[in-house]
Amino acid sequence: MSDPAPLTTDRPGQVASATPPAPGRSRHLSDRWLAVVFISPALLLLLAMSVFPLLWALYLSFTDYSATRGGPANFVWFGNYTAILASAQVHLRALTTLIYVVGAVALQTVLGFSIAYLISRRTHGRGLLTTLFLVPMMLSPVVVGLFWRFMLDAQFGVINSMLGSLGLGQVEWLTRQQTALFSLIVVDTWQWTPFIMLIALAGLTAVPKYLYEAASIDRASEWFRFRTITLPLVWPLLLIAVLFRAIEAFRLFDLVYILTSGGPGVSTETLSFHVYKVAFLGFNTGTASAYGILMVLIVMVLTQLYLRYLNKLKED
Amino acid sequence: MRYLRRSGRLSVPRRTAQLATAAMLVATTMAACGGQDDGASASAPKAPATIPELTKDPLTLSFIWFDWPPAHALETFANAEYTKERPNVTIKVNTVPNANWHDAMFTQFAAHKTDFDIPVLDSQHIGEAVTNGNILDITDFVKKNIDVNAYNPYLLAAYGQFPQAETGKRDENASLYGLPLLGDTWTMIYRKDLIGDKAPQTWDEMISAAEKCQADNPGISGLAFHQANGSDAAAVTYNTVNGLYGGNLWDSKARKIDGVINDAAGQEAMDVLVNKMKPLTAKGSGNWFIDEVNAAVAQGKACIAFNWIAASGGLLDPKQSTLGSTREEILSKLGFATLPSQKTNLVPLGGMGMHVSAYSSKEKQAEALNFMKWFEQADIQKKWAAAGGVPARTDALESPEFLNAGPFNKVYADSVPRMRDMWNVPEYARLIDIENTNVNAALNGAKQPKDALDDIAKEQQSVLDSSGRKGGGGL
Repeated sequence: MSDPAPLTTDRPGQVASATPPAPGRSRHLSDRWLAVVFISPALLLLLAMSVFPLLWALYLSFTDYSATRGGPANFVWFGNYTAILASAQVHLRALTTLIYVVGAVALQTVLGFSIAYLISRRTHGRGLLTTLFLVPMMLSPVVVGLFWRFMLDAQFGVINSMLGSLGLGQVEWLTRQQTALFSLIVVDTWQWTPFIMLIALAGLTAVPKYLYEAASIDRASEWFRFRTITLPLVWPLLLIAVLFRAIEAFRLFDLVYILTSGGPGVSTETLSFHVYKVAFLGFNTGTASAYGILMVLIVMVLTQLYLRYLNKLKED
Repeated sequence: MRYLRRSGRLSVPRRTAQLATAAMLVATTMAACGGQDDGASASAPKAPATIPELTKDPLTLSFIWFDWPPAHALETFANAEYTKERPNVTIKVNTVPNANWHDAMFTQFAAHKTDFDIPVLDSQHIGEAVTNGNILDITDFVKKNIDVNAYNPYLLAAYGQFPQAETGKRDENASLYGLPLLGDTWTMIYRKDLIGDKAPQTWDEMISAAEKCQADNPGISGLAFHQANGSDAAAVTYNTVNGLYGGNLWDSKARKIDGVINDAAGQEAMDVLVNKMKPLTAKGSGNWFIDEVNAAVAQGKACIAFNWIAASGGLLDPKQSTLGSTREEILSKLGFATLPSQKTNLVPLGGMGMHVSAYSSKEKQAEALNFMKWFEQADIQKKWAAAGGVPARTDALESPEFLNAGPFNKVYADSVPRMRDMWNVPEYARLIDIENTNVNAALNGAKQPKDALDDIAKEQQSVLDSSGRKGGGGL
């Protein structure tokens, strides 16, 4: 039996390239082509399912195309973009989305980090507790939305029933402007706080113990240790978790659809929900494409700024 | 050097890679464009006047409807009865949640490929489907196979005609694109044990009775009606009150909404709805639709309620009700009546027609036409009535099979001459969303009633006027 062909070189990160083909393999099928053959299914899938739809949506965004009306796609150039950017309806949804993202992510960060900090201080049952806390994250948002809808029902819901037994009045959680958005934030927080907790816990367990030991020797207070050791070391990881959550929250659709349908009125309609209406109620495909592209651009620009801040933090 | 030497990189020659990527994108683009028409303006294709020869092979005829009792009743009924005539055919009624009903049908229409043969369209969806060429023009088929004189002309027009008929009439020269499947309208459901056997005769009387009942019976709300901002819930409620107080939704000939829906009568209707009716509803009922209203009635939590007749059957089921342990006991407490009149006696037109998908195979289109012809026969309509359906033929509506099948069926028969529909135009989905969200906002305190009505008028008018707009349509 011949020795297998070496897969790596002595240089880390360098992949073998000029290795002769293994015996029995076609002379024309070099390692380079073999690699291409292996990755091409994934590449083709990526091109067909991600790159092409994105480019197609980009093209449609400059037209007045409608998926149901058919007919030619007439170029309106930046007409869709200017209409979206100038629309008071869009501004309203953008404000709602901003309030939602800031509220939900801030609450999740505070709670997630607090829970992770408390769990990290336990020596027993840490694994079990972590698993239990992760359960909401594993549920489908539609399922979460449905059972919270029942729980928050003003007439028959368990939340109001509990408030009633405490002598408090009924709250219209999903049908009042002041409480509907708050309810969405609470439900999203219930489901996604574990995500922040998980990342924060990974950061907390990675803090070297000797730093705390040294601080103890110096008789540093608990608060001082938290402020000068724990938080600075976990902060970059926490910020990445915040980034992921903010991107997710920015494109919130399912919970809104199930819990409030954007109501009362349009007061809980997020940008994603509005895009859905533009795309599927009037089938204004061109406008909806431009709307979607603008949302992607906003996320990309904000993410770049955020990553620059993160890199700066790392360099400092 | 830290990174790989160029010769060591796992890559095909750059030019080849670029060519391959470009070829892939071109191929995908062609595939994506393959289903589109080439710019020809869409219009509904014609169905043959005579039903083509039917297959003898096993065949499944698929409907699409939203998930509610009549959809399940139809599947059971059709499989029991139609198969007597066509044993090789199985009827499948696919259902989707009500809120997804329009999207489920029209996204498939957009793909020019449907997994259903008979879409059950709301009367207002016909314009959109006809304009886009999604359903067959069955005018010639109807002329040859259907006895149009057996129907109230407006029912035939409402579920099939486009352009839309004037309220109460049918234009015999207009094309037909569907036939009635299920008639429907609102019924007033009232607690006989709380407000008396005699149903209120005017809308004002109804409000007074509900007010008194609520005051006399703590824990029971005076009214329960549709207020949700999904589907057409809140909009139908406003449109009903608007009609009763002498308002109009639009001037269809001039395509004018602003200044019509928000005229004095429209404002009065909105004021009645928000300031007189809403305070009599249960707290948190601002997102109620069909099921929630039924639940409130069944649990004895409402003095007077309004709901679609076709969805009211469950109210008489003792398993679902706290009002009695038998149907008779429940009926001793619940009364069903036509809507009270006020300045007019208009009631909302509900129900749906059946249509033929333009993208079904010829074989299935032929079967669909045969099913429609079979379904519209007098004896089948009576059997459909006995099975829990609401027929459209006058003889079936007047038959004992229908009138004795449920206490609300007489309500429907009496309501037929009083019906009014909304707009049957291609822009319907957007018009109804605008009205729904604004009425819902007014009912839940997110907007002042007058502002909500003016916003409806302004936004709906802008939708009707935006056909020539360059960019930004749909916002």
